[in-house]
Amino acid sequence: MIGIRIHGRGGQGAVTASRLLADASFRDGKFSQAIPMYGTERRGAPLVAYVRIDDVRVRERELVHEPDVVIVLDPLLSKEQSVASGLKKGGLLILNSKLPPEKVEIAGDIKIATVDATKIALETLKRPITNTAILGAFSKSVGYPTMESIEKSIRKQFPGRVGEMNIAAIHRSYEEVTPVVQATHTEPVVEESDIAVGGYGVLKDVSSWRVFTPIIDLDKCTGCRSCWLFCPETAIQWKDDRPEIEYHKCKGCGICVEECPVKCIAFERVVV
Amino acid sequence: MSERINRLQIPMEELTITPGSACQGCGAALAARLVFKAIGPNAIRHRIPCCPDSTTAHPSANSVFESGGAMLTGTWRGLKAIGRTDVQVVGFFGDGGTYDIGFQSLSAAAERNENIWVITKDNEAYMNTGNQRSGATPIFARTSTTPVGSVIKGKQMRKKKIAKIFAAHGIPYIATTSVGYPEDLIAKINYGKTVEGFKMLIIQSPCPVGWRYDGSKTIAMARLGVQTGIWPLFEIIDGEKFKLNYKPRELKPVTEYLKPQARFRHLTDENISLIQEDTAKEWETLLKSDELGRVLL
Ligand SMILES: Cc1ncc(C[n+]2csc(CCOP(=O)(O)OP(=O)(O)O)c2C)c(N)n1
Ligand code: SF4
Ligand code: SF4
Ligand code: SF4
Ligand SMILES: [Mg+2]
Repeated sequence: MIGIRIHGRGGQGAVTASRLLADASFRDGKFSQAIPMYGTERRGAPLVAYVRIDDVRVRERELVHEPDVVIVLDPLLSKEQSVASGLKKGGLLILNSKLPPEKVEIAGDIKIATVDATKIALETLKRPITNTAILGAFSKSVGYPTMESIEKSIRKQFPGRVGEMNIAAIHRSYEEVTPVVQATHTEPVVEESDIAVGGYGVLKDVSSWRVFTPIIDLDKCTGCRSCWLFCPETAIQWKDDRPEIEYHKCKGCGICVEECPVKCIAFERVVV
Repeated sequence: MSERINRLQIPMEELTITPGSACQGCGAALAARLVFKAIGPNAIRHRIPCCPDSTTAHPSANSVFESGGAMLTGTWRGLKAIGRTDVQVVGFFGDGGTYDIGFQSLSAAAERNENIWVITKDNEAYMNTGNQRSGATPIFARTSTTPVGSVIKGKQMRKKKIAKIFAAHGIPYIATTSVGYPEDLIAKINYGKTVEGFKMLIIQSPCPVGWRYDGSKTIAMARLGVQTGIWPLFEIIDGEKFKLNYKPRELKPVTEYLKPQARFRHLTDENISLIQEDTAKEWETLLKSDELGRVLL
């Protein structure tokens, strides 16, 4: 049996990814199980889902505490949470990242493969929803489920044009995922922070929620206050009659970009 | 009636403690921010279960849906007993709380004309628990409990006219507003702060997750709701005196509001004409009310 933990953010489709993996494995003749972990899963907030795949009926009902494979759908999550926590010795980490696996600063006796799933999703789906994009990388690095079965599961979940776009995404990630390599940093995983899911209340820094970052061109700004007025998170402060973004409060929703009447706020994908 | 303000009259002070845990582009998080800017610091804010909009720097307690009205009543009576009638007592609730589960205790508090605020961020469903339909969900909208199947497609009942329902209690002030019109929203709170008795505000608060559109379009969606007449901005005093606050020469067709939201994606042309007719009929009643200065049902 293998156990899988999927880290994502609300809106990236971690729960759907877990279902698709389980469904495709079942089509391949295996037994499988998908477990969503429901918190108050706000769009952008970190969350996890689990999958089990086995050749015999899966009897376990608890969460997967020591996964064989961890999938990370968001490039910045690994900066916020110890995504490798509990990962078995020799286990595999599949990261959505622009970095080659050798440059990934996650330590342990683990293997790593990376794929720029955000880029693939933006190009094939036109939206940064990385859940299907990463499944091709999983199939290539782990050896199953077969791409045919993943395709069938996707067509069932997303009939029509959306399904075909997602299928294009899995094929690209199958091609573009790096080979699996041993983690360069070898010290065992020591961080023991809990796997947190989103909750209520006040947060310290939501920078990592952003896919795109608003950048104001003050030379063109007319001082109309729209961006300040409509930011739900008060991330835009009003200083000396000009807007100033406090980036630790910015979730990258894009409202300010949309509302600026002179279009002087750019929305850029920040390289990480 | 509320007095128009301009953007420069919007208070600079922020009462919200951010960043909060609402989704990216959450209309309700902005609603809370704007409301409490205008309410100011001298208030007690109570909550009942709902999505995490924006936390504010006010003393606050949480209770159950059913006792929102009772909790606000107790707080106001207590303040009165100790001579602190300067403090505003505010309930900031979801539509599920106001239209459905908490309705009875709010109705009772309205009947007694308690000196409290009931402010509703209306995102047209039970969003915190995953988009179940509420009495505020519009007709034909897809939610998790009104799915689109082969026979029945989306919710089959109309949205409750909650403002008129509460107006029928004869309360001193009730108004509708929208996060797309912050000047209107703040002007209405400014007016309500001068009124003693039961005050209510229903705020259209688009939810990108439940309504299924891109979060950057929250304000655009709110404005389209108002400009198509689906979400009219009005105020009613003493259950009678009426004013329509936004009167464009011509309303936009409802499709401009419906089309960008995937919760309405399955609508047929017939469905759309029904919504268009409903909207036109209600708009006519509102215009007539505005002319008379008296609310018509
Ligand atoms: C009596 C009762 N029923 C159900 C619930 C579960 N519940 C918690 S929050 C919520 C949704 C609230 O919806 P709404 O008031 O519209 O606020 P929103 O989440 O949309 O902001 C529900 C159903 C509860 N807490 N109490
Ligand atoms: S992107 Fe959203 S959260 Fe960030 S500053 Fe703009 S409006 Fe505020
Ligand atoms: S919306 Fe644009 S023009 Fe207006 S204050 Fe913000 S950056 Fe300047
Ligand atoms: S589900 Fe909707 S209302 Fe709730 S926090 Fe998210 S965007 Fe806001
Ligand atoms: Mg609601």
